[in-house]
Amino acid sequence: MESGSGPLKKTKGISYAKWGYFFIAPFFIAYTLFTLVPQLMTFYNSLFMNYRDGLTQVGPTFIGFKNYVTLFSPDSGGQIGMLKYFGNTLALWIMGAVPQILIALLLAVFFTSYRLNIKGQPFFKAVIYMPNLIMASAFSMLFFTLFSNVGPVNQLLVSSGLSDHVIDFFSMKITVRSLIAVMNFLMWFGNTTILLMAGIQGIDQSMFEAASLDGASSLQTFFKVTLPLLMPILIYTVITAMIGGLQMFDVPQVLTNGKGMPDRTSMTMVMYLNNFLTTSKNYGMAGAISVVLFIVSAGLSLFVYNTLSKQYK
Amino acid sequence: MNENTKGRMQLLIARIVVYAILIFLSVLCLFSFYMLIVNASRSNAQLQAGFRLLPQDNFLTNLKNAWTDASINIPRGMLNSFIVAAACAVLTTYFSALTAYGIHAYDFKFKKAAFLFIMAVMMIPPQVSAVGFIQLVYKFKLTNNFLPLILPSIAAPVVFFYMKQYLESVLPMEMVEAARVDGSSEFMTFNRIVLPIMKPAIAVQMIFSFVSSWNNYFIPALILDKAEMKTVPIMIAQLRSADYSKFDMGKVYMFILLAILPVMIVYIFLSKSIIKGVTSGSVKG
Amino acid sequence: MKKFIAMLLVLVMVLSLAACGEKKEEPKNDTPAEPTSGTVLNIYAWNEEFKGFFEKYYTVPEGVTVNWVITPSDNGAYQQKLDEALLAQASAKDEDKVDMFLAEADYILKYVNSDATQDITKMGVTDFSNTYKYTVQAATDPNGVVKGVSFQCCPSALIYRRSIAKDVLGTDDPAEVQELLNSWDKFNAVAADAKAKGYYMTASFAETFRVFSNNATSAWVDKDNKLQFDPMINAWIDQTEEFVKNGYTLTAGIWDDEKNQQMFAEGKTMCFFGPAWYFNFCMGNAQDPDKGCSGDWAICEGPQAHFWGGTWLLAPAGTDNEELVADIMNTFINNEEVCSKLVSDEAQFSNNQAVNAKFASDPNYGSEFLGGQNDVALFAGMTDNIKWENHTIYDQLLNEGLQTALQDWYKGAIDKETALANFYKYVSETYPAIVLP
Repeated sequence: MESGSGPLKKTKGISYAKWGYFFIAPFFIAYTLFTLVPQLMTFYNSLFMNYRDGLTQVGPTFIGFKNYVTLFSPDSGGQIGMLKYFGNTLALWIMGAVPQILIALLLAVFFTSYRLNIKGQPFFKAVIYMPNLIMASAFSMLFFTLFSNVGPVNQLLVSSGLSDHVIDFFSMKITVRSLIAVMNFLMWFGNTTILLMAGIQGIDQSMFEAASLDGASSLQTFFKVTLPLLMPILIYTVITAMIGGLQMFDVPQVLTNGKGMPDRTSMTMVMYLNNFLTTSKNYGMAGAISVVLFIVSAGLSLFVYNTLSKQYK
Repeated sequence: MNENTKGRMQLLIARIVVYAILIFLSVLCLFSFYMLIVNASRSNAQLQAGFRLLPQDNFLTNLKNAWTDASINIPRGMLNSFIVAAACAVLTTYFSALTAYGIHAYDFKFKKAAFLFIMAVMMIPPQVSAVGFIQLVYKFKLTNNFLPLILPSIAAPVVFFYMKQYLESVLPMEMVEAARVDGSSEFMTFNRIVLPIMKPAIAVQMIFSFVSSWNNYFIPALILDKAEMKTVPIMIAQLRSADYSKFDMGKVYMFILLAILPVMIVYIFLSKSIIKGVTSGSVKG
Repeated sequence: MKKFIAMLLVLVMVLSLAACGEKKEEPKNDTPAEPTSGTVLNIYAWNEEFKGFFEKYYTVPEGVTVNWVITPSDNGAYQQKLDEALLAQASAKDEDKVDMFLAEADYILKYVNSDATQDITKMGVTDFSNTYKYTVQAATDPNGVVKGVSFQCCPSALIYRRSIAKDVLGTDDPAEVQELLNSWDKFNAVAADAKAKGYYMTASFAETFRVFSNNATSAWVDKDNKLQFDPMINAWIDQTEEFVKNGYTLTAGIWDDEKNQQMFAEGKTMCFFGPAWYFNFCMGNAQDPDKGCSGDWAICEGPQAHFWGGTWLLAPAGTDNEELVADIMNTFINNEEVCSKLVSDEAQFSNNQAVNAKFASDPNYGSEFLGGQNDVALFAGMTDNIKWENHTIYDQLLNEGLQTALQDWYKGAIDKETALANFYKYVSETYPAIVLP
């Protein structure tokens, strides 16, 4: 992973170490002020009963871990909400991210291949990135109109005889989830492609030349040269996709109007968090969910980082 | 000869397949934009009447209605959004590169700890800190101010991570040493040598950060409420639910179109320099 | 690339300077005027409706700037914004204080029953002789203190398609149709007839919700804040189950496009429910010149009297513009000219009985959309039966939440028990103070 030369501590006896602190100082100051302190406040909140009832503020009253107990207690239907929404998020993420990364990798290889020599690259690249520019809410609204009961997709299905009745896309788990996955895929595969391309183009060309002189096939070149050298950027892509997945909010929120229908099967963890933040301002429960989200995300990211980087060391 | 023809045939088939995939994906992507433009050309009644693939004749009417709307000053909103998004793009890329270089190039005591810290916090959804952040903004009376929207972009763990990964794969430390031998100060070395090498990465991240900031709704909506300070997404949301009694969807689609146009222009502008930057930026020491 | 970044930086600096420059100028213009009070009138609203009427029919005194703070009500955003502002009212600078705000029937109690609003009779709004009783009750706290006024009265009617009524009932005359639909039993029986002729009785599963919920005999929560289902709510659930099962209604939500499509001439739905603002502004499809069916509509009282919506103007405690706010309120309920304009030019049913009576008895007044029927006359006769009872501060989101949760069941995705469990989940997220059964 480290390319050639390591850090420069030993150079000529002069210690440059202190510069490291100067360089990272702005980041840490800004982070502390604008993210860490608010975050700690949020976490601290999770130990309190603290919400609004109309215009009346209830609490904050210290209640220990009671919010966490509530969070993981089964409801009247016997379900544990948090686990359900985590499952939903995971399912939605996998449905969108797997094709997103695979296709982006494929496109990045196409675009950078001298053999294929794709024409019109600027056009294609500009086009596939475009969906990422639309506001997620606007994009979701558009999809909603397209697939609603009176939308063009249904008009088409019925008039062409493919279906003898209107298909209610928003009443079935599989269709709602697929729509969300497709939208996430469309919004992000262009972005991923550009990142991976930048990565491939950053690879020393002589490596490819050497591979081709050795008579390697395109597939061999891809798995033996491109993929290993692309690992740092690929890890970045997987991790950012995962972050995006965990944070998934705008698309399902607008598409299902915040309901996560049907039966809350498309409700993500952040949508769940949002439920506590809006009307009830239930900072206690919201804080508890935030802590769980935090633990889940930190664990996942360390796992991915370790496995991927070890495998290609 | 035979081998050669076979190779050519394979290449031809490969090309056809590749172009077919590309065209299919492009159509998928363009379709939503196309629908947006079609819908922006239809009156509310026409939109209510059902879906159409072809534009209708209300484009200019909608444009006029949207542009001159008394309560939603879209030109002003675009200006506001531009200030915030551009400032965020510049700050976030510069300081992320600076931080990444600081951790990549120097061996200091807390280097590993600092890196692990950023890695750990990277995955935290921003919504987690939103509550506390808003409380702070209210406490320090920073509502209707762009600073709480701009300054936090100095610390962007995700952008930092990208820069760090990029540095690892492209930065030859020999160049830095050479600069030191020439007597360049550390800060100068960063600005003069490291930054230019990172141009492709910076350009890519600038676009991402500009777009996400341009489209950002959640936090700005909680901070900005004065008409002359509102950004585009707030205006869009306001228009969407402006008044269900005077709900003009044609105008809404026109607003959305106007809202994404500048981003598209900026993107087309920057995408050229990215491609150039990517190819010319991979100079190896 | 470098050039571009440099350009961008310069541009940002220039623009932010320009923005700062403008900002700096503002206080200069404002401060010399009058430091005492009332130079800025802050009005909080969730849409532009009242702003439009205000700008047309009310002239603010010279030297007063009206600042509209408009936050869409999506996901409760308006209430959140307003709550923050009201809770910070005491410490806010005079020019930032909320001077007046708008609220809807479904959450007005939250503000009326709190110290955040003040007695408007002490501010000079005392004449309620012409306003409708329920509109005053809605803005009155448990101690009998009036905190606000509504500029509209919203009795809600049964809106039916004349042509379908003729086919199903054999008449389209409002009085005769009312006779045939004046109870739920008759309404349900007619639904079967309509179905037999290939029509839908209603286009949304929640179409009749308001009619039932307005006539509930108990509130959503009891004395101990425990959630309870009123018999009327259960009656609605049962009726809807029947309607969905028998295909009498579509399963669309109350605002869905699928329902709106039924308003076109080709639509197959006979009944809608709504007040004046609904058929005048929300039935755009029916008014469409090409595909609509304006004139093919009429209204009658329907099975039970009820109201829907309405916008109240409330006076927050701590406003520095008491006189002006009182004058605005008086204008919109007692100024005959303004109230007449609201009826004749804005198609509102005003909150002034004398003005409405004038239009009700005017033989030349009639709604073109309703085929010439005098809607004001019908509404004026309905207002006495409207009840303002059994409301809570939770109504809006409980009503919405119940409909949302049950829709999954009506659409066949889950059973009734699961749907209710989802409703309880929603309640616990939205209102932690409510005790679940």
